[in-house]
Amino acid sequence: MNRKWMLGAIAGVLAVSMAGCGGQNQPAASDGGGEDSISGTITYLTNRTDLIGNVYDDYAKRFNEKYPDAHVEFEATIDYDKTAKMRLSSGDFPDVMNIPTIANTELPNYYAPLDDLGLTDSIRFPDYKSDGGVLYGMPSGVDVVGVVYNKQAFEKAGIDKVPTTLDEFYAASEKLKAAGIIPLASNFKDQWPVYPFAAETPVALSGNVDLSNERVNTDTPYTLDGPYGQSMNILRTMHEKGYLEADINSTNWEQSKKDVASGKFAMFYLGEWIIPQLIDGGMASEDIGFFPFPYDNEAGSRNVVLSPASGAYGVNKNSEHLATAKAFVKWMIEESGADADMLPILKDGKAQIAQMEEFDSYKPTYLEGKVDTAEALAIVNKAQIVKEAIVQEFVLADDPQETFDKYNKMWAKAKSEVAK
Amino acid sequence: MGGLSYPAQKKIVLALFLLVPLTLLGMFTYYPAARLVYLSFTDWDGLGSGMSFLGLDNYREVFTNPDLFGVFLHQIPYAVGGILQNIVAIGFAVILNSTLKGRNAFRVLLFIPYIMNGVAVAFMFQYVFDTTGGSLNALLGAIGLESLQQSWLGNAAIVNWALAGVSVWRYLGYTMIIYLGALQSLPSDMYEAARIDGANRFQSLWHLTLPSLSRIIQLNMFLTLSGALAVFDLPFVLTKGGPAGASETFLLKTTETAFQFNNYGLASAMSVVLLLLTVLILLGQNAALGRKGRD
Repeated sequence: MNRKWMLGAIAGVLAVSMAGCGGQNQPAASDGGGEDSISGTITYLTNRTDLIGNVYDDYAKRFNEKYPDAHVEFEATIDYDKTAKMRLSSGDFPDVMNIPTIANTELPNYYAPLDDLGLTDSIRFPDYKSDGGVLYGMPSGVDVVGVVYNKQAFEKAGIDKVPTTLDEFYAASEKLKAAGIIPLASNFKDQWPVYPFAAETPVALSGNVDLSNERVNTDTPYTLDGPYGQSMNILRTMHEKGYLEADINSTNWEQSKKDVASGKFAMFYLGEWIIPQLIDGGMASEDIGFFPFPYDNEAGSRNVVLSPASGAYGVNKNSEHLATAKAFVKWMIEESGADADMLPILKDGKAQIAQMEEFDSYKPTYLEGKVDTAEALAIVNKAQIVKEAIVQEFVLADDPQETFDKYNKMWAKAKSEVAK
Repeated sequence: MGGLSYPAQKKIVLALFLLVPLTLLGMFTYYPAARLVYLSFTDWDGLGSGMSFLGLDNYREVFTNPDLFGVFLHQIPYAVGGILQNIVAIGFAVILNSTLKGRNAFRVLLFIPYIMNGVAVAFMFQYVFDTTGGSLNALLGAIGLESLQQSWLGNAAIVNWALAGVSVWRYLGYTMIIYLGALQSLPSDMYEAARIDGANRFQSLWHLTLPSLSRIIQLNMFLTLSGALAVFDLPFVLTKGGPAGASETFLLKTTETAFQFNNYGLASAMSVVLLLLTVLILLGQNAALGRKGRD
């Protein structure tokens, strides 16, 4: 009798554990309909966990209104880039997703060409996620960097005119410092917020959108009198004159947004994407201003660099509902309004962010940034260079030339190894 | 199963029960480990689109690149802190083993930091170490030690010691509980005999307690040193590698190599090197302390 119970228990344990090993990867439910009809249920994988349950429900409803036979489900995951790459390499990924940071030469292995959507000529940055002239990913929006400032803080410090040259910028910072307001919130400690000094500003300074990719032609891409040196020197000068946080190694990102909103800090040098975040945090939109960064003392129009927003829609080339997935991407670009808190991706689109009006009043010259070539990317990865880290070391070093020497050496070594 | 003999049935039942855990172990531990060693000899970039065999190149890179291997120097403060942690833990364990009023409350207080989630602890200490508004600098100011107020996480010379301090705070309770358990298993007649012979508390601690605890001390030293080798969560959350790479640790570099620079081959080689170093420490420790414990 005891043995029968034991047998039953063993069988039960085995059955339960085998059930646990069952497939977790349910493919998107197919509700009939052929490859070409806009029907069935597709899944869209994204990193915006904050939009699940509100904005995305609205998108699902509107998409279903346009295509009554089609349904879209939204899936969000944190730590997006790593998770997305792992799903790609496992071969099981959803119909539509934001393309993670993989080399463009890998795109045809996973994603379907999107030229048949007819949008290739009307979007900016068609070569962001293209390979061999074929479009595989639609960028979701466009970013531009500039100085976001608290108008009331400027008033309090007695600044009546927005600075349009570098000297005026330093002078304005001096006035802010005298009024007890920290001029620029660099968020130095978190490393990533100093990216404009590593990427956009050097390009704007030199007016050369190929600057980043031309690094592959030299063994010493970083020079003190070149665009990278000049750009990073601005941040270094700001630090030396005390125009940044008191201890730049101890900054707090979330707190800095509150401090700019309250007027304790005056400026951010980041992208337009921070303006909706400040408004969400409670700052009044009329108090937020946006002007192009005055990187030198030349008169005339400032260059500003447009870059693609990091999310780009890609369609799984093995999707069961290819037409639906592509229709969804087209809908997201044209009708969803998903780029409302960025700059519009369509060339003839109008920016929804109110501050862009002020930005445009300074008549900046918009340059479309170039994406990294495969060669430049390969060297960066081999040398394990993080561009914001160069800025950090440059600002903190006793002798910035040493920092550049070190990175030039890493670059040259990786360059020769990649060339092999 | 009626016809088989009892020993045979016992064997079958054992095998069946072990089947599931061993399968899981093989699938989720040994297979990935074997694959890791295999990958360490290749240049896989994480997407499976062709990888070439590199031989020992990755290992050569790990040992000759000062950016990769040199970061172990940053981990020395953790090891030193760990030794301090063990000494203090033995002290607390001895005190809390005796009949002290409220000793259970003290034991709980010392152990709680270990139970708290590591990342949450790291976030909390961000506010403690903050230069302008942090509680540590405020405390120093309140007790009149303004000269010691400084940027704890921004000063490259002390950032690793600050992080090691957090680690000591977290693991002190855990180490202490292990010692406490060992102490409670010691026979008390040994201490009575020593007291009759006229030994004071310190002498009985030094000559009786410590030698009996030597195996446990060995265990804890191994845990501390291998923990110091594998530090990751504190620098990752608090400093992301610190002011210009001053608090980078080996494991932090490994994850960067794998996920940021897409070089899974090199990262696998780094993981294997870490494993070998841990084994080396274990062997070294056994050789050095094993002799003492045998008598």
